[in-house]
Amino acid sequence: MQIRRRASAVIVGLFCGFLVLLHGQDAASALQIVGAVKEPLTLTPGDLAKMPRASVRTTNNGMETVFEGVWLHEILKKAGVPQGTALRGKALAGYVIAEAQDGYQVVFSLGELDPGFIDNEILLADTANGKPLFGAQGQFRLVVAKDKAGARSLRMLTKLEVVQLRK
Amino acid sequence: MLRNLCGIGLAATLALTAAEFSWNLPAEFPRPVVPNDNAMSPVKVELGRYLFYDKRMSVNGKESCGSCHRQDLAFTDGRARAEGTTGQTHPRNSMSLVNIAFAPALTWANASLISLEEQALVPMLGETPVELGLKGRERDFLAAAKSTTVYQRLFPQAFPGEADPYTLANVTKSIAAFERSIVSVRSPYDRYRFGGDTSAISESAKRGEILFESGERGGCFQCHGGWNFSGGIRFATREGAERETEPGGGFFNTGVSRYAAPNRGLYEQTRKEEDLGRFKAPSLRNVAVTAPYMHDGSMATLEEVIDHYNKGGRFDHANKSRMVHPRSLTADDRRDLIEFLKSLTDQELLHDPRWSDPWVRGGNAGKYLLP
Repeated sequence: MQIRRRASAVIVGLFCGFLVLLHGQDAASALQIVGAVKEPLTLTPGDLAKMPRASVRTTNNGMETVFEGVWLHEILKKAGVPQGTALRGKALAGYVIAEAQDGYQVVFSLGELDPGFIDNEILLADTANGKPLFGAQGQFRLVVAKDKAGARSLRMLTKLEVVQLRK
Repeated sequence: MLRNLCGIGLAATLALTAAEFSWNLPAEFPRPVVPNDNAMSPVKVELGRYLFYDKRMSVNGKESCGSCHRQDLAFTDGRARAEGTTGQTHPRNSMSLVNIAFAPALTWANASLISLEEQALVPMLGETPVELGLKGRERDFLAAAKSTTVYQRLFPQAFPGEADPYTLANVTKSIAAFERSIVSVRSPYDRYRFGGDTSAISESAKRGEILFESGERGGCFQCHGGWNFSGGIRFATREGAERETEPGGGFFNTGVSRYAAPNRGLYEQTRKEEDLGRFKAPSLRNVAVTAPYMHDGSMATLEEVIDHYNKGGRFDHANKSRMVHPRSLTADDRRDLIEFLKSLTDQELLHDPRWSDPWVRGGNAGKYLLP
């Protein structure tokens, strides 16, 4: 049983390696969720594939793209970040720093990421038009469809850091 | 023999007349905006092609639109600054016409000039400087066109129902339609980014793409953004509405020069201090074949351009874009960026017979008589 599991792991590993080669990606790319979280996470596309999937249709420079991935609030829920009725009092002085591979950072308050507060629909995307993200998109990116400017739809996402201002 | 060739030409023209114009763009790309009074048609584009390359339009018969917009150079001219048919020098560098149909503004320093039909009059009739020198000779040219075999077929078919289609307005409409037809999304990068061909560009170019699209490293996309790598686009939605991605934007002061007259950017038109030194961020598609660079052609190579931006510009200026600041690109980064920029060259475009000079005997349309 253990051998079979290891063999499966090797096959999965080889397949992931194949995908990485196929899309010219850095093999080390995985998404870190760290900071003021109950459970720090390291997520791969395989992990995201097992979570509730969602999609967003965008138009950029006249080109339509359907991004698919996981709502950001689902990621935070998995990491144990307070949500819904638990997001009150001091917890509301919390925010998330999203960081890209090149050091670029943007910030979201926990309130604007919580569907109990607002239907912001911020997607952590890993595919575009059915294909894995690659190259300058990174393996993961954010899609903040309701922002008027695109600057927070961060590409090449590598880390989400939760910060609580009040303990 | 001649009669046979003309017969072939007639058959080809009839086929063009009957056909619908096709942009030949992949489905995911938007379509350009087309003025209501100048619908695209294959025969009008073909007429525009003949006019674009017709040297009789110049006062001395030496130059045509195609002299400053050479197909093999992605419709630029290889000069630092353009030169008119009588030798007068234009203050600025010839701009590429590739994807000009998507450009919100057409020239380096005039945000209000957005009509290709209107713009075509500038090189024809302009006197400061003289480009083609057609002013005062319009009737002569139209008379010459009327007596030219190929035009006797194309003008009436491009403008059916008009008693006298040989007008300057129809000349500019046809040239605009031809220019509008020059669209390019067939580069190796397009195959990589949109076509699923992961081996279409080199590993160096892939690293260059990441640098280009990184605000922290290259930052290039901040002015040359989107699939056209330009300061915004204008396009038609699927419902036919007109959209512009950067209304009023797309012009930047990048510290290239001291911005002395007549090269003070948008200021030349608006006389607003904040517009001093603001020039259009052109599309970077095919940029590897459009040297020299910048509005004044003052940079000979892409290496010079990247070094310019890496240093944060040549000159400081109160209006210099905050996106132009010293960066830390290495020699390897520069090489990767240039490899990426080279991957934007659409080699087919440079030789596509749809946009070549039809007056050249033996060319793709050498079947027609020379004027």
